[in-house]
Amino acid sequence: MSAEYQPNIVAFLCNWCSYAGADLAGTSRTNYPSNLNVIRVMCSGRVNPLFVVNALQQGADGVLVSGCHPGDCHYMEGNFYARRRFGMMKELLEYVGVEPGRFNMSWVSASEGAKWKDVVGEVVDKAKEAGPFKQFRRDKINW
Amino acid sequence: MVDVAKLKEIARETVSRDDVKYLIGWRQGTFGFRAAPHFVNKPEDVDQLIFSPLCSHNLATYLTGVEKLPVPRGQEADSRKVALMVKGCDSRAVVLQLVEQGYGRDSVVVIGCPCQGVVDQKKVEAKYPDMGENITAEWGEKTIIFNLPSGKTEVPREEVLAGKCLTCRYPNPLLADAGAWEEVAVWGSDDYADVQDLEAGNPQERRAFWEDKFASCIRCYACRNVCPMCYCEDCILDRLNPQWITRAVNPTENTAFHLSRAFHLAGRCIECGECERVCPVDIPLMKLNRKLTKEVRENYDYEPGLDPEAKPLQASYRPNDKEDFIL
Repeated sequence: MSAEYQPNIVAFLCNWCSYAGADLAGTSRTNYPSNLNVIRVMCSGRVNPLFVVNALQQGADGVLVSGCHPGDCHYMEGNFYARRRFGMMKELLEYVGVEPGRFNMSWVSASEGAKWKDVVGEVVDKAKEAGPFKQFRRDKINW
Repeated sequence: MVDVAKLKEIARETVSRDDVKYLIGWRQGTFGFRAAPHFVNKPEDVDQLIFSPLCSHNLATYLTGVEKLPVPRGQEADSRKVALMVKGCDSRAVVLQLVEQGYGRDSVVVIGCPCQGVVDQKKVEAKYPDMGENITAEWGEKTIIFNLPSGKTEVPREEVLAGKCLTCRYPNPLLADAGAWEEVAVWGSDDYADVQDLEAGNPQERRAFWEDKFASCIRCYACRNVCPMCYCEDCILDRLNPQWITRAVNPTENTAFHLSRAFHLAGRCIECGECERVCPVDIPLMKLNRKLTKEVRENYDYEPGLDPEAKPLQASYRPNDKEDFIL
């Protein structure tokens, strides 16, 4: 194969910090991998752990959930709940054999365009290392 | 130790109360080593109640299924209580249902039965294949005594007890309105050896292990139906819009189902082992649940179903929660 494998990554970004951070990275003309499909959500606490399972089922090779730093949440405490939830979800996914690099979580604030670049680079590297996700991908939609 | 005669007396007293609708306990089953749930509506029915090593059912499930029928205009709803016999693990389910406000504390009467461990049907049936009808059992000193057709047999408890009982840390009810029995000694400790065995392997091994187990799932949802903590009125497994998990029985959807089932019990599983007991294809569901129980206990210092005043794990947080996985 000549072309390098390009993973397909779904990123759930919180509207107030990470989405603005990614926007800043864009407006600052930062170069970073384009493997991400960004889904904007109002808060990282809005992300249901089933979103992650569903994304993996429907074709994602990696999932990133990104929100505000603890204490900076627009809704005061949404990211604290998200942190608990995804800490457990990550353990569960790894326990059933999903590679550790597939699910990632990060805190990126609106002013951290440079950090966003690093996070994306790391997530993409990890997903490339893990390879295409086949474990419980839906082969076809049944109806 | 539970004095069954005294237990029946308390049950009779409870059923006779005006503010109690019925009592849920156990009675002898009709075949082999089985016990069956027993709904006592009249004081006469109390005589059939038993409490023995065969009483493996967690009856707290029934509390969440109590029917609330629409009441005709001008009539009062039936606000009488339901009485329930609980073992140690069942009492944790009741506590957690109260924490989650599944029902009010005044709508249930809890009769505590300190438990020395219940038998695993699969283990005893393998051990005594020529079982007859109505085999009764009782607890001995570190043994279980079966009244087999061939006579009384005493076996060491480690050989026949369910896995959850071998590591049981809460054999005495944590919540009880009635019941003044001697507490039984805690003899188990839990080091999560079964979970650690699997964790020690690499992801490929774990994946192979679970793929094999999940592939046999027939999606009967018995594990969900029997679980005392699975009582959402609108279950995601039944919901069609959005349909998170399609009803196709294939490895993909089975894995998604088991992940969502396990995750719904994160910080809520009280380790009664009912899901594993009822599974018709012997999927080691407790191995999945106990992984999360272990994480919750180690990382968040939380055990569900101990304190009626505690907040649910996922509805609370600490500012210094585990954060090492975050980039």
